[in-house]
Amino acid sequence: MDEFLEQLADIFEVDSVKNDDELDKFECWDSLTILSIIALTSEKFGKQLSNDEIRDAKTIGGLISLINQK
Amino acid sequence: MDLKFKNKKISGILSILPSTIVKFEDEMAYYNFSAAKSLKLKMAMGYNTHRIAKNGQCSSDLCIHGLQYLFDNGLLGKEEIDALLFVSQSPDYFMPPTSNVIQGHFGLKSDMICLDINQGCAGFEIGLIQSFMLLEQESINKVVLMNADVLSPKVSKRDRNSNPLIGDAAAITIVEKSDIPSTIHANVKMDGSNALALTIPAGGFRLPCSPETAQMEEDAAGNFRSKDNLVMKGDDVFNFVMREVPPMIHHLLQIAEVHKEDVSWFMFHQPNKFMLNKLADAIKVPREKMPSNIVENFGNSSGATVPVNISYNLGESLLSSSAKICLAGFGVGLTWSSILMDIGNLNFNKTINF
Repeated sequence: MDEFLEQLADIFEVDSVKNDDELDKFECWDSLTILSIIALTSEKFGKQLSNDEIRDAKTIGGLISLINQK
Repeated sequence: MDLKFKNKKISGILSILPSTIVKFEDEMAYYNFSAAKSLKLKMAMGYNTHRIAKNGQCSSDLCIHGLQYLFDNGLLGKEEIDALLFVSQSPDYFMPPTSNVIQGHFGLKSDMICLDINQGCAGFEIGLIQSFMLLEQESINKVVLMNADVLSPKVSKRDRNSNPLIGDAAAITIVEKSDIPSTIHANVKMDGSNALALTIPAGGFRLPCSPETAQMEEDAAGNFRSKDNLVMKGDDVFNFVMREVPPMIHHLLQIAEVHKEDVSWFMFHQPNKFMLNKLADAIKVPREKMPSNIVENFGNSSGATVPVNISYNLGESLLSSSAKICLAGFGVGLTWSSILMDIGNLNFNKTINF
């Protein structure tokens, strides 16, 4: 999961991400960021997320639990 | 569904591209995003230039231009055509079929079949499968398969989801019986329960165009489009492709008893570079064997992308030699289909501008 967090940080173009970081507060947040998360989760965990699920997850922590629940 | 055909071949491919070139940067101001974000999208998706038909130009005009070119250059005889297929989502009319209109334009013989097929991203594969089935008939020796779409007028300029990638194009593929014994393996699958993942909501009989359907609305991502416009659920389509296409290809190779390494090219539909690279990785084939440069040069022209891909990237190399090629299309319908066949020693394989 640490490696995944690093990859998420790359997607969000920051040095590191924390659980309470809000997704839509990242400077680069847009549909491409969401697609990159979908692709990364599919590649890494073989799990498929939708746009709405990712938006509803709100935070990095929310995203992690979404993936864990899948 | 697995399908198998014997002794059929492709003998020529001609792609017809509108001459108007539109650059990604020229349209960036329409989008509700900063230039930096849009340029990042351009890099990630491989957007650059796309070809857009002139105002009023229809898919059938591109096909007529291409057929005239083939007749004028002695590459096809009018009297040889036993079947004329028009695979498109942009017909001239609801009625009559556009294939009949094209037949009439050229005064082709009446002892033939004209057929319109409403298919999108998998339109080349569906068109080839239909051609192979027609060629089972004794009286049908040559099928002219037209894949054409001019969908740019249906895409909102303010939709960063679809506008940068749409491209208009047509392709004419000659399919005929072969004297050389050969087997073509194919498969096709459909999922109509997700039919509206890619759609133009208004304009048909279900929801006719009206002032209401022309109202522009903003979506969650900040794109503006109306119900008259093409809309694509990008996440659903991406997930569908990554879920369904790799197993389909593995299954096709398995029933054909062919190793991945023995396939020279994976000529796939061209949604964007990002998705094609992810697909190549998931199928575990080198990205170089799966060209992904059609969207950046011409745009995604729906069912025409695979023949455009073949004529642009393999061009003259298929005139004097043959290659084992895996074709695949996936999208609108939802429909996904793949074909494994030898393609080569073609009479022509090129692109022309119109």
